Amino acid sequence: MSHANAEVVHGDNYINHSKGIKSWLFTLDHKRIGIMYLFTVLTMFLIGGIFALGIRLELFSPGMQFLKPDQYNRFFTYHGAIMVFMVVIPLIPAALGNFVLPMMLGAKDVAFPRWNLFSYYIYITGIIVAVSTLFLKGVDTGWTFYTPYSIRSSSSATLVLLGAFIMGFSSILTGLNFIVTIHKLRAPGLTWDRLPLFLWGIYATSVIQILATPVLAITLLLALLERVLGIGIFDPKLGGDPVLFQHFFWFYSHPAVYIMILPAMGVISEVLPVFSRKPIFGYKMIAAATFGIALVSFLVWGHHLFVSGQSAFANFVFSLLTMFVAIPTGVKVFGWMGTLYKGSLRFNTPLLYALGFIFVFTIGGLTGVMLATVSIDVHLTDTYFVIAHFHYVMVGGSILAFLAGLHYWFPKFSGKMYPETAAKVGAWFVIIGFNVTFFPQFILGVLGMPRRYADYLPQFTTLNRVSTFGSWLLAIGFVTTAINLIYALKKGAKAGDNPWGALTLEWQTASPPPMENFNYDPVVTEGPYDYRGAKALMGSNA
Amino acid sequence: MAHVPAAERHHAHHFSSGVEEFDACKQGVWIFLVTEVLFFSGLFLAYAVLRVFHPEMMHKAHKLLDWRLGGLNTLILIFSSLTMALSVSAAQRGDNKKVIRYLWITFVCAFGFLIVKFFEYRHKFIEGMLPGSHYTYPHLTEKTAGLFFSCYFVMTGIHGIHVIVGMGLIYWLIRRAKHGEFGPNYFTPVEATGLYWHFVDLIWIYLFPLLYLVS
Amino acid sequence: MSNHHQPHGQDQDGAGHHHILSTSLALKIWGCLVVLTIATVAVAQVDLGFWNFTVAMLIASMKATLVCVFFMGLKWDHKENAIIFSTSFIFMAIFMILTFGDLLTRGNVYVHGSIVPEGMVHAKSKFKKPWVSSPELIARGNELFHTQCVMCHGPQGHGDGPAAAGLNPHPRNFTAPESQWKNGRKPSQMFETVTKGLGGMPSFASTPAEDRWALVHYVHSLGSPDPKDTPEDLKKIGIDPTKDDGGGAGEKVIPIGLAIDELAH
Repeated sequence: MSHANAEVVHGDNYINHSKGIKSWLFTLDHKRIGIMYLFTVLTMFLIGGIFALGIRLELFSPGMQFLKPDQYNRFFTYHGAIMVFMVVIPLIPAALGNFVLPMMLGAKDVAFPRWNLFSYYIYITGIIVAVSTLFLKGVDTGWTFYTPYSIRSSSSATLVLLGAFIMGFSSILTGLNFIVTIHKLRAPGLTWDRLPLFLWGIYATSVIQILATPVLAITLLLALLERVLGIGIFDPKLGGDPVLFQHFFWFYSHPAVYIMILPAMGVISEVLPVFSRKPIFGYKMIAAATFGIALVSFLVWGHHLFVSGQSAFANFVFSLLTMFVAIPTGVKVFGWMGTLYKGSLRFNTPLLYALGFIFVFTIGGLTGVMLATVSIDVHLTDTYFVIAHFHYVMVGGSILAFLAGLHYWFPKFSGKMYPETAAKVGAWFVIIGFNVTFFPQFILGVLGMPRRYADYLPQFTTLNRVSTFGSWLLAIGFVTTAINLIYALKKGAKAGDNPWGALTLEWQTASPPPMENFNYDPVVTEGPYDYRGAKALMGSNA
Repeated sequence: MAHVPAAERHHAHHFSSGVEEFDACKQGVWIFLVTEVLFFSGLFLAYAVLRVFHPEMMHKAHKLLDWRLGGLNTLILIFSSLTMALSVSAAQRGDNKKVIRYLWITFVCAFGFLIVKFFEYRHKFIEGMLPGSHYTYPHLTEKTAGLFFSCYFVMTGIHGIHVIVGMGLIYWLIRRAKHGEFGPNYFTPVEATGLYWHFVDLIWIYLFPLLYLVS
Repeated sequence: MSNHHQPHGQDQDGAGHHHILSTSLALKIWGCLVVLTIATVAVAQVDLGFWNFTVAMLIASMKATLVCVFFMGLKWDHKENAIIFSTSFIFMAIFMILTFGDLLTRGNVYVHGSIVPEGMVHAKSKFKKPWVSSPELIARGNELFHTQCVMCHGPQGHGDGPAAAGLNPHPRNFTAPESQWKNGRKPSQMFETVTKGLGGMPSFASTPAEDRWALVHYVHSLGSPDPKDTPEDLKKIGIDPTKDDGGGAGEKVIPIGLAIDELAH
């Protein structure tokens, strides 16, 4: 985008600029905050993943293997709550976006660096409050906390509700920060039609965070007050309506899943042009579709209430509206395919993950359209079909895209290059393992296996065992990837400033970047994917 | 944090000018207010649901509130919005004495609001007009009357917490103003707190008729 | 939205950049707000029925607009901020409208019309003349009652089940005297109620007729044994008491029992 490489200075960078744990814990630098988020989120991913492995291990055979049903209920509750609130929601925006967004804008930092650090500590506080319950009575309501059970269940529910409430503010502050940064701190020449699609994704995500998360906050607060004060709004015993809780809860939680996927799509939109060495196909359409998806996401929450007692009329309306989200999504997939077509493809790990994403996310999205159809949903709801659907989009979507982004930006974060072959091995284990784990669950759902049950009928055994085996492949993939990247941090080859030859601003400065991001004032003179005139920027490690 | 006199204040390093910093901060507050609207929207929805499905109960229960106290509180908050706005103008003109004076009046109004609320709440507690399952008022025996008071206490309670936070912010401003930190070239915190305070007034502008007046 | 590139240290442009709200304008706005407050209190003393709410909200919105535009400075600010703030109300509206879209149309779940069979009373029954009470029917009714009805009507049929708290009107107390029964307490009248539904009571037309009769007889047994059905009462709901199956064209209900039979084998 700009041709000021000659001014890049090496040596002092954000890692070695100041030393000691305090300089990290009290930093105001968005890059350091991003790295702290990254490590925390990955730690929570490990914990949530252990619960997942526990679930799959228990489901290896019918009957109870090593868990009692009460414990099983806690396993899937914590798996869900940790993965949703502590991993996937903050994942790409906080762990990647914090680092990359200001740099892509040519800015020195986000608009409000202190609120940025504060949002990290709010996140940590929420985690501690919620996860402390693992050492108390534990929660078994499912991550959705439906009333009236969540009103009456174990004492730990209060703390988990409180922890999630606290974490919501982290999400809100991050979103607020990003919106103002994008509005006010763009480098000269960075007009809206030159904004990288990753930033369009983060921007739309931030708007959703601002609008939806507060409703989660009031929902959790009211549920807390129900438990503590018995106010009665959601409690049928006192004249309240439990389905009203579901309306409140899903008004946030549906847009929340688009908080999870829009940044992921943004990463894919960055990776594909770089590794196809081609401009993105349909830039304006993809940017518009991003906001289209964000808007539609607020209109469809009732599809989680199809069998909860929602009226037939509302079922019809929500079903219709839900189908609409497939349109902008399809536009994006089409744009990605158009980018790859006749591109000069380099099969580095980021591209491998991106290709995996397109395949897996499409399956996930199409099964979503199936579930949006009320007559089908009535049979498939609360079965493994739903579980497979949302894992396809959340894991197959967000996690694969995250891994694409992590490998893509790894040289920028660390100044080192990861070993390519080992990374690819990890990627294949993840992609194949993921499909082996979750594809059988579509079939199990259609055959009638209910979700959130600690046991199942004997005829479901084979498919469950295949799925459990898949979970081990998935685990091997994640562990391999982790070991590879940790090794690369210590012993990786030195990466150049721009090993991929990308055109966005973050690559036009040192790897790792200096504290101030740029040693010059960046000026943007062309689009972020304008590869036609950029052969000279081809990096040495391409 | 050290107290920097207004004339010496320098904008944060990642902004290119004081104007950019001011605009960014202002926009940040407006976005925060968006989150507050959505936060309260859940409460307004819960209230609406109760009104539509339990109209007689809501009608009878709302009569137990004293609209004169509610009206008094409305006038207090509106006046405090005026004084808050005047303190911003004073900061823009560099009239530090007026800044502090108007901030104090706003603070006292906020405190007055809470005093009135205290008396209202006390009356409710004594009479047993309590939320949900704690409702014991003998002269209104509609089965779900506790729900009205759940709404009343949660809505005015959360609003009250916002008032208390506002008082904290105003007090902080007074301290900073006493150190001469605000002037025509830097009054961002006053402006930001002003926006927040007007929003607190806004919520009450809707709460008052909904809870006290409409049947 | 371009960025200003000013050399560091020059923050003095702050004064020229901002609009200052004059004291006189501020006082005028405050005056309007006070007047509107008095107006809303005054209007609330008059009973305008439905319009009280609308007028109150209109006045509140006028006050809110005055605060936003003048006190909060949207009139003189970047248009962005006004757009940002108004967006919140759009989404608040979406939240409320779609939720009410569900809450207000709940009654439609139980569809009246062609799905409710007209020939309901002619449905085949394993019991002969199920409109006549018998200990077997009452026992069957007892069983059914405790699976399907206790949630609302309570274990003794006093209308005090757990779900009853949220229902308006209240579920029927089956021990109440006949005057309190909207459709009457004769078995045929109870049969009509359980078939068609009534108020918050859903229709149980898809339950086989004999089960409905069993429930009717059980519920009837909870109160006084009178009133009983006369042949005219039975004719009113289309039953010919001389025939074992009540006469009529035969099964016209949704054949759930048949379907279940087929599936189970």
